[in-house]
Amino acid sequence: MTIIVLLPLLHFVFAVLCLSWQRGTRGIIVAALLIDTILLGVLFAVLDQAGSISITLGGWGRNVGIELVADRTSLVFGFLTLFLEGSILLYLWREHLQPYFFMLLHLLLGAVFAVLFAQDLFNIYVIMELLTLVSFLLVGYGKRPYQIWASLKYLFLASLGMGIYLLGVAVVYYHAGTMNLGLIATQLTEQQDTTWVLLASSLLVTGIAVKAGIFVFSLWLPAAHASASPAVSALLSGLVIKMGVVVLLKLAAIFPLSGSLLVLGSLTGILGIIYAITTYELKYMLAFCTLSQIGYLLIGIGTGSKVALSGTLCYAFAHGLFKGLLFLAAGSAIQATGKKDIRELIMERSNISLITRAALLIGTLGIIGLPPFAGFCGKALLNAGTQSYVTQIVLALLSFGTVVSFARLIPLFRFEGGGYLPRTKSLSFLILALPIVLFFPLTHLFVPAWQWQTSLNISLFIKNLVVIGMGILLARPIANHFPHLEKRFFRLEEAAVVILSGFFLVFLLLLFA
Amino acid sequence: MLMIAGVIVSVILFGIGLLGMIFRRDLIIKLLSLGLVNGSVMLCLVSLGSRANGIAPIIRGPENAGYVNPLPQALVLSAIVINFAILALALVFVMLLVEHYHSTDSQRIEHEIKREREL
Amino acid sequence: MRHRRIGLIIYATILVCCFCGLVIVFFSYQEPARELGTIYLSRAPSETGAANIVSAIYLNYRLYDTLFEILIFSVAVLGVRFYLSDYREKEIVEKIPESQIVRTSADLFFPPIFLIGIYLTLSGHLSPGGGFSGGVVAGTALLLCAVALGANTVGKRFYEPTLRWLEWGVLLVVLSLPLLPIVVDRLPFTELLPPGTMGKVISGGSIPIYNLLIGIKVFIGTWVIIHYFMRHRGEI
Repeated sequence: MTIIVLLPLLHFVFAVLCLSWQRGTRGIIVAALLIDTILLGVLFAVLDQAGSISITLGGWGRNVGIELVADRTSLVFGFLTLFLEGSILLYLWREHLQPYFFMLLHLLLGAVFAVLFAQDLFNIYVIMELLTLVSFLLVGYGKRPYQIWASLKYLFLASLGMGIYLLGVAVVYYHAGTMNLGLIATQLTEQQDTTWVLLASSLLVTGIAVKAGIFVFSLWLPAAHASASPAVSALLSGLVIKMGVVVLLKLAAIFPLSGSLLVLGSLTGILGIIYAITTYELKYMLAFCTLSQIGYLLIGIGTGSKVALSGTLCYAFAHGLFKGLLFLAAGSAIQATGKKDIRELIMERSNISLITRAALLIGTLGIIGLPPFAGFCGKALLNAGTQSYVTQIVLALLSFGTVVSFARLIPLFRFEGGGYLPRTKSLSFLILALPIVLFFPLTHLFVPAWQWQTSLNISLFIKNLVVIGMGILLARPIANHFPHLEKRFFRLEEAAVVILSGFFLVFLLLLFA
Repeated sequence: MLMIAGVIVSVILFGIGLLGMIFRRDLIIKLLSLGLVNGSVMLCLVSLGSRANGIAPIIRGPENAGYVNPLPQALVLSAIVINFAILALALVFVMLLVEHYHSTDSQRIEHEIKREREL
Repeated sequence: MRHRRIGLIIYATILVCCFCGLVIVFFSYQEPARELGTIYLSRAPSETGAANIVSAIYLNYRLYDTLFEILIFSVAVLGVRFYLSDYREKEIVEKIPESQIVRTSADLFFPPIFLIGIYLTLSGHLSPGGGFSGGVVAGTALLLCAVALGANTVGKRFYEPTLRWLEWGVLLVVLSLPLLPIVVDRLPFTELLPPGTMGKVISGGSIPIYNLLIGIKVFIGTWVIIHYFMRHRGEI
């Protein structure tokens, strides 16, 4: 029971210890990894018997104190955090980093665990602000001007978003009298006059959407994730973005958000893919891809059936793994050659080591959804979870777009020659690559057997292969003849105006759907 | 009545802060507008708990006088500290940028960074 | 270019006005749900023993939020220290001519302001105050001294490693205090100390302890931020 509280607080204690005991930072993070594994194992065993466990801090009662709940969602993301933590530890083993960096890392991991268990709106506000501050400091760690500007833009827009979220919390508190999610749900069923739900849910969704990586709102994302150092990009793109999606999942259980999330998901997916196809810098392309993959998760939450929710969790786990792997591998490739553009990387591929290229290959196979790798399971579950043809066509279109944008990396994968890579970095790639390859048996732990049998059949297999084949064939003509796109929206002022327009979009969607 | 007036004033201040963030080019003024936006949300929260002829929720005797709602005030205490932390760190970053580019104009800084990226 | 700029101005102004109007109109000013406030007002004096209900809420019922808030403050101080630490101090600093008025009033006002800060910290459970406001007031007293005497002069009076140990030690104690009830076989975050009679100085359970710890932390943090800003940018 107390594990739920121990997981974040122990990470914070380790953070403080890192700063005071400066020679033992690597020992501390290894100890943290071990303790996390043990605690998550115990949580898994406990949740196997009970569906979900909850604890009210201080024993005061739900309406007066703060409640924390652990269920299947938190378990899945907890394991994702574990894998990413281990791999980042190995990637950064040999680098010279100040203890300040490791302290920020521990704070980030502790805040991620805290979001997974949170059940109270104001608690979520405070934890997301901690996440914003810590990731903002991590992006600006290198002190280069473009990193500092990207992180400043991130801070401005994220604070604006959280201000809008707090306004939503104020509306909810005034009308429902509580900030606990479970108690709000009971209030919504009991009250007759619920016209305030429209304003409250649109404010809350807009606020969280700024941090969750939805395209219209998160225009800070490409600059911030592309300017950060590789390990930080992997953590941000693989883990921190998912926390916004986790909060949206918690909100979608209470407020009637399904139609609007479907439309928002399709919008962000398609727009992300369009921008990803026309970008030739590797890290920017990966960041736009992140924006588009969040579309999958939103479509899954919006559909709402049990199979679709399992698909969302499955795909979120898989996406965290392969996006982390892609960012780490891209980072070491860029460090080996010194070039950022894909075409120049292909020309200088003999400087990139074979293991880095193999890691990029596994990541690409995962993200395009080749069966039986990681992405396929999630996409199949999402496809099987929805009955409407429009959603399935949108999902197929997103798959097609992803394949087109990643097919430009194919010339990198000729395995000849290669540079040198330290053994710790190869081990870090291995930690992330193994679950991607072995994903099929792993999902049996998370997905009930009946969903497995209904969703994975041969027709989805063949459909996926057809989409992938078409994408690879049509990649070159599409990329050459694509129209040039407006990059002006990613500046600070235009991004704020777009966030406001996004608020109206969400408001209208909630009004009519 | 006080509550409705409080909400209207705070939303108007929110709008003014938003306009300041969008239209003024100077980074320091953008920072101040961000502080104004956060402050207006705090004003909204506190005014939601108010009541007519209310007194501060500090219990001085056994009689049940009209105390205002203490919960929004506790939330605003946390929000003030968070606002302070954000402004302090954003100010540090603005100082670093000004040291490098010798100007506080946001459009000029964006332009220079884009130029450096293309080189 | 000018067309785009004017278009953006008109579009953004309309958008912001519509946003404000929407929030004001859709707020739906019906009777609020007042139970939560009255629950706290009726339960808090007997359960926590504090006269200041706001302190009782954020240091007893919702202590978890306050922990994160303290962490955010510490991260801010840490960030300021990291980014401004390797700038060489400005040697050629234009000092404003120190008037005798500023020096004398600094000598006169520093002790009372500091005492007020300590009083606010320690009496957070009886009257408005608490760790945050008390720490900031005490830090402002140091700011007055730094304006009068110079930041480096005041900074030389503190031994830096002790300040850091105190800061991180206090944070460690604040993070482990809620976990202490686990040792005594109860749920974490429960109150271990008795509430006492309301209105006395020693009452309110562990609220004065938290106030003292937070006060020390905020005082040191405020001084560090002021010191690093003044060192980097030169004197005021």
